[in-house]
Amino acid sequence: MTFGTIDWLVTIVYLAGSVTLGVHAKKYVENLTGYMVAGRKVKLSLGIATFVATELGTVTYVYYGELGYVAGFSGFFIGILTMAAYAIVGRTGFIIERLRRLGVMTIPEFYEIRYSRTVRLIGGLTLFLGGVLNMGIFLKFDGIFLSEVMGFGPQALVATMVIMLLIVIAYTMLGGMFSIVVTDFMQFVVLSIGMLVATIAILFNVTPEQMSVAVSSAFGSAGNDPFINPHFGWTFVIWILLSGVAAGSLWQPGASKALSSESPAVAKKVFFWTGLTFAGRAIIPMFWGVAALAYFGQGHPTAAAMPQLLGRIVPTGFLGLLVAGMLAASMSTYSAYLLAWSSVLARDVIACTRKADFPERTTMAITRVATAIIGIFLLVFGLWYQIPDTAFQYLAVTGTMYISGALGAVAAGMYWPKANNVGAYGSLILGAIAPAGFLLLEKSRDTLPGWMQFITDVNIAGLLSFFLAALGMVLGSLTTQKISPPKILTQAEKP
Amino acid sequence: MTEGAFFWFIVCAISALLFFGIAAVVTVRGIGELRDLLKGTRRGQEP
Repeated sequence: MTFGTIDWLVTIVYLAGSVTLGVHAKKYVENLTGYMVAGRKVKLSLGIATFVATELGTVTYVYYGELGYVAGFSGFFIGILTMAAYAIVGRTGFIIERLRRLGVMTIPEFYEIRYSRTVRLIGGLTLFLGGVLNMGIFLKFDGIFLSEVMGFGPQALVATMVIMLLIVIAYTMLGGMFSIVVTDFMQFVVLSIGMLVATIAILFNVTPEQMSVAVSSAFGSAGNDPFINPHFGWTFVIWILLSGVAAGSLWQPGASKALSSESPAVAKKVFFWTGLTFAGRAIIPMFWGVAALAYFGQGHPTAAAMPQLLGRIVPTGFLGLLVAGMLAASMSTYSAYLLAWSSVLARDVIACTRKADFPERTTMAITRVATAIIGIFLLVFGLWYQIPDTAFQYLAVTGTMYISGALGAVAAGMYWPKANNVGAYGSLILGAIAPAGFLLLEKSRDTLPGWMQFITDVNIAGLLSFFLAALGMVLGSLTTQKISPPKILTQAEKP
Repeated sequence: MTEGAFFWFIVCAISALLFFGIAAVVTVRGIGELRDLLKGTRRGQEP
């Protein structure tokens, strides 16, 4: 199909509506609390809509679509694990309930309350680096999706990336979280319609029987069984389960939804119900990827196969709706992620190099400048960096760089009275080592000695990271109780 | 169709029902909540 006049019209009307709504919402942003956590007034349905819209970008469709294309049905278990992890966090309130009660705006703020300002600086730095590296491939994958679906092909990739970037940066800098809450709701509705359109179009063009035959011929039993699939295996399954619980409670863009809820009880409900949608968030795009395998066969560029399929089978007119849905998904994701990482840089890294915090106005100014700088980084990094393995595994390992150490430092800080500063440093630094080792060394795996080869296995690096972080916290704290006694908290500081 | 594929199709159908079902409910209820949120916040007040 071609991207016709009606499609352009739908896309332009959607973009204009989105920007108008964002600008309108800006007038409600008065101070830092409004800018970063929407005044902490968000109720259940709105919380679920903004959470789903944040965690469902075009990049999500592309990396899950790629997994469906390269691993068949065997990747579907990721959706079930993610759903279980978020639902557990929502039911138990693990970490998020106490964070919301403390009234912090970013996760590293907790480090200063429980440990010290220097721990907050180190924690902020690992969060910022892991987060920005994680986001580094978003723009490229969004560009691949949009240029393929709209029929422009790979030659339009750079232009698509630049246009996307300009739109989302302007959108984020104008408002902040309050604007995001308002616009995310609209994005959530539009992206859901886009997903429905794509799913129905696929069901009309590719039969389940064709998909089953394609997966069996391409992968045999490994197309259905994650434990024998070469991309996954036991280490991957355990890593993703741990990662799901840690990311569910500590991934800043998601956690900010809990922190902006009107109460700790609402935060728990938001996580639980959002968790139930997360199986579909993963499995529906993987289903599209499997359909691309059945339609094209193997041998297509892995990330571009699913978008190419949608570009071919979605009828003109509906294609505009699909692109609007994908733009909606991306704008809400970018705005929340850009805001999360830039506010961490402003409040938890730059401000922590000083004794006192910056005034609100300065923090907001730094946050806006950081947003623009991160945006430029995304463009350069996206064009230059070649991801190892699948995009999903790259995102998981960069996320793990932060969440493994954070899980050790925050969980122990909340639930273990003996956790001290040394343990927190140990957890944050050791947690980052294995993923950083993987990212630095995987390109030179052929020249590494045999005993170091394990670090170039993304699944081992990811799982190892959690064990090292836990070890750092436990050993670091237990061996230094006398020289670095745990901080005594006031009643207001107790999580 | 293989048994494995059939199992994953069932899982996929349930996931899609959950996703679109929750999306429909959230859309209807969210409109009211959004209205309340904006009504309770005016320029010059603490949002």
